[in-house]
Amino acid sequence: MLEIKNLHVSVGDKPILKGLTLSIQPGQVHAIMGPNGSGKSTLSYVLAGRAGYDITEGSITYNGEDLVALKPEERAAKGVFLAMQYPVEIPGVTTMTFLKTALNSQRRQRGESDLDAIGVLKLVRAKAKTLNVSEEMLKRALNVGFSGGEKKRLEILQMAIFEPRLAILDETDSGLDIDALRLVAEGVNTLRSPERAMLVITHYQRLLDYIVPDRIHVLAGGRIVAEGGKELALELEAKGYEHIVKDVA
Amino acid sequence: MTLAVAKRDAAAALVAARGVPHRRIEEWKYSDLKSALGEAGLGAVVAQWLVANKPSGVDIFDLSQKNPPDWVAANFAKDSGNTMSAASLALSAGGIAFRVPKGAAIADPLKLDFTGTGHVRALLVLEAGASLTLVEGATVADFRNVGFEIVLGEGAVLDHVRVSPADDAAVLVEEAFVRIAAGGHYRAHFASFGSKLSRMEVDITLEGEGAQAHLSGVSVLDGKRHSDVTTNMRHAVGNTHSTQLFKHVAGGNGRAVYQGRVIVSQGANGSDSNQSAKALLLGENAEADLKPELEIFADDVKCAHGAAVGDLDAESLFYLRARGIPEAEARGLLLHAFLEDAVAEIANPDQREHVRIELLAALNGFRATARDA
Repeated sequence: MLEIKNLHVSVGDKPILKGLTLSIQPGQVHAIMGPNGSGKSTLSYVLAGRAGYDITEGSITYNGEDLVALKPEERAAKGVFLAMQYPVEIPGVTTMTFLKTALNSQRRQRGESDLDAIGVLKLVRAKAKTLNVSEEMLKRALNVGFSGGEKKRLEILQMAIFEPRLAILDETDSGLDIDALRLVAEGVNTLRSPERAMLVITHYQRLLDYIVPDRIHVLAGGRIVAEGGKELALELEAKGYEHIVKDVA
Repeated sequence: MTLAVAKRDAAAALVAARGVPHRRIEEWKYSDLKSALGEAGLGAVVAQWLVANKPSGVDIFDLSQKNPPDWVAANFAKDSGNTMSAASLALSAGGIAFRVPKGAAIADPLKLDFTGTGHVRALLVLEAGASLTLVEGATVADFRNVGFEIVLGEGAVLDHVRVSPADDAAVLVEEAFVRIAAGGHYRAHFASFGSKLSRMEVDITLEGEGAQAHLSGVSVLDGKRHSDVTTNMRHAVGNTHSTQLFKHVAGGNGRAVYQGRVIVSQGANGSDSNQSAKALLLGENAEADLKPELEIFADDVKCAHGAAVGDLDAESLFYLRARGIPEAEARGLLLHAFLEDAVAEIANPDQREHVRIELLAALNGFRATARDA
């Protein structure tokens, strides 16, 4: 589903990713772990199509298509979803209006008809309930005055509504207490399916206790320096990144 | 007999002495009326008005008629008089006056449109405890100057919504003088789509304790359109409260001006004032001049002011696009969101919706232009 080959990315003149190669199949959950500054967030932004990240070498292929050539909105319509580390606050746009606009924008780009207001409301309510997102939150301006946990829950709610084929979760665990983390992880786990791939980006092993990955990649210095099964997370937790990074070097 | 003959003579003398305001006069620095009018100058034509809806219970008097009632004679031409309001007094014998009698609560809005070229006066008196919604519209004209006096008695409540149309050639100027007695409450929203020169100047005096004034406004300016909102908020006595929230979006060579002066008089202790003006500039040649000012001569007052000019937030734009919303639509949504808190200040729901729809149309026009460019 996703093939990243020898990816080099610079921000400004500074190289961040230096030859990253990664392949994810449908149905799989991969985790990317790495210390601060290793390029984790850069990878997530490049996959979602944010401006300011220059791909100097390598390729990203998504379902056989060159992902890099697509605009962010086209990627979303084709099923790429990035749950952001810092969801933005947008005063003046209610959460419900935002969800409806985004959902119908994606549908339109796929040649599907718009869902009417009632259809959207039904869909959102059904999904919101399981993630403990209240009606009151949906009426508020997008992310404005939301706690860290509420913002992350709303990201996962969007994932449930948009039903992406490739979901990238960027530090979804940051800023969450254990109850919020469990709720978010449950939400993610219910979305695991044979057609859907997930890339879970995290600094800590903690999240992977709840979202158990098929494969773990360790990112350091802009490259994958170690790979393994879920047990790799435990090793990282016990010995720290330095140990692994040193072994490779 | 014509109203206020002596005042008209004095006003004519003032206009003759000062001439047409131009950019070297501080208050007109960003709105060069003299060059906008060119050789035609102020002229001496009388502009027209049209009452599109007069609710029952509102008294009306044509200012060009003889024998004005007491409520007109007592309140007409009492404003402090700047050059342009003096011009409207000196150069126009016409105009319109309204009164809402004591204690009358009028639900149906009074709709008043100013039309044609020239000068015109208006007077609105709300007696003690009266309430009204005033919807002020305007047709485009080469040049129009409106001098408007508004008097709010004790505890009177006025919701004033003014929409100024988009036009490349029109020069539209208005001065409103608002006097608010104790416990009176004036809420005004000025929406402007810009013209060759467009200026709304409002001078408010909070005359009695507990008087309040809440001003808000939006402007969406494309092409070479200009919109100026100039406010003078006078806290003449203590325990008075005022807020101002203005939002501007300017693209192309559009120019948004906000000059807001808050004056807290000596002894007006316990006054509370807040003013905020923000502008988004969508083109390299767009301009915003935001000038909030405070003059405080009292103690124990709370006065806050702020102004900010910027572009659309790149992170917000990316967030919306990453959720599948195409760039043009995402920009429109963010622009609308930027203006929304000022629009939300409009108390009357029908008028609020009306302004929203007009804004949406103007913003859509923007996006179409941006795509062509």
